[in-house]
Amino acid sequence: MSEDLLHYVVDYALSLGAKYAEARYQLDETLVMILRNGRLVTLGRSVSDGIGIRLVYNGVLTFSATNKLERNDLVDAVRKAVDRAKALSHLVKVPVRFADDEVCRGSYEVKALKDFEYVDVEGKVKLLGELHNSVVNNVKEVKIPATYCEYLEHVQRKLILNSDGGFVKGEVPRLSITFNLVMHHAQKGSLQRLRQWGASGGLELLEVWKPKEALEEEVGNLERVLIHGVEPPKEAVDIVVGSEIVGLMVHESAGHPMEADRILGREAAQAGESYVKPEHIGRFRIGNEYATVVEDPTIPGSFGYYEYDDECIKARPRYLYKEGLVNEPLHNRYTASILNTKSNGSSRSMDYANEPLVRMSNTYLKPGDMSFEELLEDVNFGVYIKSYMEWNIDDIRWNQRYVGLESYLIVDGELRNAIRNPVLELTTQSFYSRIEGVDKELKFYPGTCGKGEPPQGIPVWFGGPNVKLSKMRLGVLRYE
Amino acid sequence: MSKELLSINESIMSRLRKLYDECVVQVNEVNSLMIKIVNNDIALKHAQTIYTISLYLVKHRRTFVLESSTSNIDELFKLVENVGSYISMIQESELYAPIPEPKPYKPLNNLVDDKVITYINNPTPLCELLINSALNEGAHRTSGTLRLSIMSKALTTSNGFEGFERGSEVVAYLRAFKESSSGHWAYGSRFVDSRSLEEVGKRAAQYAVLAKNALDVTPGKYDVILSPLVVGNLMELIATMASAFYVLTGFSIFMDRKLGDKVAADSLTLADVPRDVELSSSTAFDDEGVETYDKEIIGNGVLKNLLHNCKTAAKLNTSSTGNAGWISPRPWNISLMPGDASLDEMIKEVRNGLLITNNWYTRLQNYVEGTFSTVSRDAVFYIRNGEVVGSTGRVRIADNLNKLLNNVVMIGKECYMIKWWEVTVPSKVPYLLVRDVNITKPFD
Repeated sequence: MSEDLLHYVVDYALSLGAKYAEARYQLDETLVMILRNGRLVTLGRSVSDGIGIRLVYNGVLTFSATNKLERNDLVDAVRKAVDRAKALSHLVKVPVRFADDEVCRGSYEVKALKDFEYVDVEGKVKLLGELHNSVVNNVKEVKIPATYCEYLEHVQRKLILNSDGGFVKGEVPRLSITFNLVMHHAQKGSLQRLRQWGASGGLELLEVWKPKEALEEEVGNLERVLIHGVEPPKEAVDIVVGSEIVGLMVHESAGHPMEADRILGREAAQAGESYVKPEHIGRFRIGNEYATVVEDPTIPGSFGYYEYDDECIKARPRYLYKEGLVNEPLHNRYTASILNTKSNGSSRSMDYANEPLVRMSNTYLKPGDMSFEELLEDVNFGVYIKSYMEWNIDDIRWNQRYVGLESYLIVDGELRNAIRNPVLELTTQSFYSRIEGVDKELKFYPGTCGKGEPPQGIPVWFGGPNVKLSKMRLGVLRYE
Repeated sequence: MSKELLSINESIMSRLRKLYDECVVQVNEVNSLMIKIVNNDIALKHAQTIYTISLYLVKHRRTFVLESSTSNIDELFKLVENVGSYISMIQESELYAPIPEPKPYKPLNNLVDDKVITYINNPTPLCELLINSALNEGAHRTSGTLRLSIMSKALTTSNGFEGFERGSEVVAYLRAFKESSSGHWAYGSRFVDSRSLEEVGKRAAQYAVLAKNALDVTPGKYDVILSPLVVGNLMELIATMASAFYVLTGFSIFMDRKLGDKVAADSLTLADVPRDVELSSSTAFDDEGVETYDKEIIGNGVLKNLLHNCKTAAKLNTSSTGNAGWISPRPWNISLMPGDASLDEMIKEVRNGLLITNNWYTRLQNYVEGTFSTVSRDAVFYIRNGEVVGSTGRVRIADNLNKLLNNVVMIGKECYMIKWWEVTVPSKVPYLLVRDVNITKPFD
């Protein structure tokens, strides 16, 4: 993509009277392989490139996207954007403006240690087929009616230019694997596990993840849960929540409610609003001293990695909750201007065809210094919930639910019998106020976070340590 | 337009024929305008002109799917050459069947509403209609979306099928707020209908205004009336699970079922209706060039059809149902057949129950067993002895899809055309009354 073409778009928009103009060229290339029961169904490739143009004209924020990249097509897109903004401007009550931020010129790039060509397609299919074998060969009494595997290589390139002097180049390769298995027992019914691996980088990640070994270990445990798992205790007990669930919880109940566009109502009809109100920032206590949630796009190798956001603002770690206080929301330049602050570099878009929104990147609960064994040692009778399948949270990010998959009873500080389907259903304040201990094992998990209209899915990590919560009741899945 | 897109198809196909045994080329063009309304204000105008080329390629029973959202055909052919180098490295597809022999198809007429084109150029009257219809009913603020689109697709197969369609779409949804209460409604169709769009604002506001007298409900079993928004969300999940690909890969409650099994209440009939031109995914042919037809997924409570493309059909020894997807079949449009009850009659029937007007975040613990939960958003009304006595805060349905399908006891006589963030397949659905639904709230 020629940089001149982006300059031309921005200059042309300004010449028509736009107060702000931004042109973002984005290229997304993927290779995907889909397997059923270890056999390849299909191999797919995709390429998507085009320009997203964002303007502020007469106080109206407009976004146009096109993948017709001739100069005439771009002129047409800009002119139409301005014309429609003119037509709508009388409906606008509060003109859009951006915070007076320091926009940057810079670049970032993730270099794969082993690029995607390091192993050929045949080798990749063989490896993915072995994941199925690692499941069926490591169960004893159950059947595996189906496995499903999706392997994705993704390279994203961005070239962003705006009328405030910003200019950013970015390139990030990402790798992810999604694996679904169904386990069935004639008397005990079925159990399902959806497991994901994802990060930025190349094929060296496979050596870190060791997905075959990970599945071999996990299916044995899941088989025990299905066959021998009992109902969780009915009384209130200590609960140790595994890092996989803690990560999801902080994503859902710290990351999302601290997106400033939600706080201001811009997602009200889509992803919802937030229990956090502008006056809560820096004042409202959501939890105790353990409740520190960090959002950091700059973690090397992370799934949500970037150094500059899509408005050319330098990325940095943000402390969403700090020692129990609602602290710093995620901002773009628009939300920052409304709340009289500066952007903290949270503007991301899925592809060229969609507007940049306030998004998370990598969100985690701050770990402590205990070992997992030390975290358990004070628990006389409790439950450890290691993984999950079902979860959800309400639209203001307050009422949340997680249903455990691999779970165990804790007796006298040790893991004992398997527990089936414990239900953790609590409020955001309850979770962050009940934390009694966190271990030092910070682990991250990948996800695709959805938001906006049209809906945009973007890669994120969420993580945390294992967390001990004070006594509370667990629910049970039982339907008759 | 048709000649232009089909000539692109043919030029691509002529290059592909030399390289592959079987090919399908699909070119899509979408021109859309979306207006995002926030707090009664225009927050964003979002225009897209997107041109997508998709290819399905077969060589020696190895299958490849390529998708290009780029105007650069040479970039596309770089991918074609790239995947060509993989042929000797990969296995025959787990799901292979030849592209079906082309047959004539009956085209669908009147897929374009010219008013959509008019409003793409000037959406102001519709934005004002949405906002003002809610404010006039007593809402104090509104947020929502109006999206207008013109979509074209051209499909060509290497064995001679050629098809073209052009259609319009309007999708509008609005969330109305009155103090701390909210209501929500949606409309999705090929056609701009001012009365339906006005109803989006009105109904959203009416629910927001009525949702006062907040009462606390304890977790437990309730008879629940589900609004068309909730019904749309859950029926989309059920219809998607009827995709044979979902059945084969362990993402379906129908995995352990056979056609003819009783899976729902006798009164319940759920259908895939690609021939209903009011709904915006209506189409005369699927992605393999097979003529579409309307079909029951569940007919009077019995599992009647899974949704197939030719590959899943071959795997399961049946015929395509005209629902391709090259990899996964999918429902085009969803219709839940109406019953004979009015909403008032349903409310009168409830001794201790809830009316849930909207939901989101439906997730499953186990797709095969159907254990799921979903969270209410917007107004939830508490019903005692046949009367609405107040509203509740947010609650959660935590139950089982099989049980829910079997416990339907009343079906509304009026269907609503719904499409929005949580109902992505265009749907015509009524209110439903379901007995003994498990309702949960946080323990703490």
